[in-house]
Amino acid sequence: MTLFGACRIMAELSIRILIPIFEFQEGLFPPFSNPAGWIADWLATDGGLDTMAWFYAVNIALMVGMTNLILVIHLERKIAARIQDRRGPMLSFRALREIGEDLSGNAPSWKFKKNYSGIGILQNIADGLKALTKELIIPTKADKFLFTMGPIIFISSSVFLLALFPLSDRFAASSAPAGLMVIMAAFSIAPIGILTSGWASNNKYSMIGGMRSAAQLMSYEIPLLLSMAGVFLVAGSFDPVTIVEQQRESTWLFGLPMWNIIPQFIGFVVFMVCILAEVERVPFDLPEAEAELVEGWTTEYSGIRFMFFLMAEYIRGFAGAAVATILFLGGWAGPWPVPPEIWFLIKVYLIIIFWIFIRWSVPRIRTDQILVLGWKKLLPLSLINILIVIFMVEIYPYFTAIVNLPEVF
Amino acid sequence: MAEMWISMGPQHPMTHGLWTLKVKVDGETITDADPELGYLHRSVEKMGERRKYFMNTTLTDRLCYASSTTWTHCYVLTVEELMNVEIPERAKYVRTIMLELQRLASHLMWAGSYMPDLGHITGALYFWRDRELFLNLLEVPSGSRLLYNYIRIGGVKRDLPDGFVEKAERVMKLFEQRLDEYSDLFENSKIFRMRTEDVGKFTAAQAQNLGITGPNMRGCGTKFDLRRNDPYEIYEEIDWDIQTREAGPGYGDCFSRYMVRIDEMKESMRIIRDCFKKMPKGPTLASTIPVRAQGEAFRRTEDSRGEALMYIVGDGTDRPYRWKIKSPMFTTISAAPHYLKGYKVADIPAIMGSVDICIGETDK
Repeated sequence: MTLFGACRIMAELSIRILIPIFEFQEGLFPPFSNPAGWIADWLATDGGLDTMAWFYAVNIALMVGMTNLILVIHLERKIAARIQDRRGPMLSFRALREIGEDLSGNAPSWKFKKNYSGIGILQNIADGLKALTKELIIPTKADKFLFTMGPIIFISSSVFLLALFPLSDRFAASSAPAGLMVIMAAFSIAPIGILTSGWASNNKYSMIGGMRSAAQLMSYEIPLLLSMAGVFLVAGSFDPVTIVEQQRESTWLFGLPMWNIIPQFIGFVVFMVCILAEVERVPFDLPEAEAELVEGWTTEYSGIRFMFFLMAEYIRGFAGAAVATILFLGGWAGPWPVPPEIWFLIKVYLIIIFWIFIRWSVPRIRTDQILVLGWKKLLPLSLINILIVIFMVEIYPYFTAIVNLPEVF
Repeated sequence: MAEMWISMGPQHPMTHGLWTLKVKVDGETITDADPELGYLHRSVEKMGERRKYFMNTTLTDRLCYASSTTWTHCYVLTVEELMNVEIPERAKYVRTIMLELQRLASHLMWAGSYMPDLGHITGALYFWRDRELFLNLLEVPSGSRLLYNYIRIGGVKRDLPDGFVEKAERVMKLFEQRLDEYSDLFENSKIFRMRTEDVGKFTAAQAQNLGITGPNMRGCGTKFDLRRNDPYEIYEEIDWDIQTREAGPGYGDCFSRYMVRIDEMKESMRIIRDCFKKMPKGPTLASTIPVRAQGEAFRRTEDSRGEALMYIVGDGTDRPYRWKIKSPMFTTISAAPHYLKGYKVADIPAIMGSVDICIGETDK
């Protein structure tokens, strides 16, 4: 049973509830004979049911993504705290009870014998509430329309990413033959939002931050796509499902799975560096370098708009780790007892934890250094990776057919 | 982008205090800079002229929040020269120990605030965690953690308590282990070196002309330290070396300044250990301390940030007639345009952080 199949059944069930409601409204809107009835009629058709099922599927994918987002932020806080010899956000039920006592003035009736700690994840909810209650400031001399559009472009293109990658071959909100190309296209919408908000803030720090971001994303997109090209050549497809199936089927010594990380290690390294720059995490977070640019292109934003940027960055991080898993780490392939979706999430979280360790143990690098790294080192490396793949996929099999060489790849 | 002026400060993460750095940038390259000081001026010198000599130690403590003992010590040395006070031998040793502990705490404060400038927040927490150890040590004899008011005219407030030596040895042993651990995280880290090497360079000749002193000058290879060149207390009798980086084309940058400070911390611990060995028994406060003074006195000491100078004129009353303070950071910040030009905007915090800014003493 796929996610879409389940959603289709849900759609059929919900149409049975919806049709009586629509029929009840008949004649309530005199100029039109029965608009609700038309909608109900359309929804009951095959196309209508499919549309509804897609709607459900995308929403489920978004919910899964948002839950993961909260987990990633919590993980980042806790691991960062442990690296820095701290404990990070902590909250226990006993502390909650004490807060309740303080607020109400008398002891609540519910009591715990043990101090159940470890619900520091609620810190995220507190942060969200704080952001919601803050004033939304628009600077007087800012371009108001573009200033408002910047966060919208950024968050919408990032949330769009969540609906695009599959968690397994059955748990997918969308499956396009050009799936990964669509994901990379969605990734590259964000610089428009960054440039827009950086320029519209009418602030020198914001403008420099926006320009840095544009330069960085433009120079890193090329090696990023070139390092992905090797995987596309091997799999012969842009479809995530095909790419993962190809990795699952190819084996190595002793029947071990040969995921793309083994033959294309150079490509994997280039991809990891580039995707780190693409999602703007330390050491590549210079568009918002707080030491010299205060907060870079987000300096003038407050409240929920600032929270949008923060959320979108973590969503992009999660999506980037998911793409890396699909391309190089065998996606949802793994031994039987654990379901494939869990395997996928385990690999994604391993990459994210690796990134968190990097983030809290290296300084930030400089603009000119980042561009030199991108153009002079990563671009040639990704081309070398493509050469290796071409040798592996095209040239070696060609000679194998003529000279009778052993089949290695 | 056309050339434009960016105003960094008075409230800016780079400033480490309250001052403005105006930089003219062409894209990302700095073409000009203009530091503006004076936001934190409290007229310490004038206030001191209305107070008695022994009251002024509370003001000098507040000159620099990171290194208060060294400033009080400079003032006390000047007043003692003015009044011709001889201090006991043990007091000299206790003062030296406290000065070096303060230098360690100050350098750790600097290292901790330098790391976020480079985008390394973990470094800040590591160094500040170690600073706590030395603050705890300073708290044992003086009773406070930030403004000690421990060094008095004629000696020190009270003797080191029992068990201080053992506690200090334990702390220094732990800190030495941690410095070894940090070397992999900082000076052997590729990205850290990329950010600090060949950035914010000035030569030894430039440093002398611009009045840059202290670890910043020793970072360009000048072997000059007032503890050795114009000795006070018992630095002559103690076994220690001036820490410099070799002179040459690759030196005088942010990395050499970082390394000089790390080496100075190790050297400070050597001085403290030697003091513990050679410390005699006896009183720690002179028996008679005069209240009035006539004449003029001038002393300079090696502060954690460079050369601290004080000049006091007494007119026979119990209050100074004129009190002049020369801060090492005032000249260093004023020279900022010379070592900022030609570098990138991202280098501004890396350079200005590396000279160890303290606005309290700069604006007085």
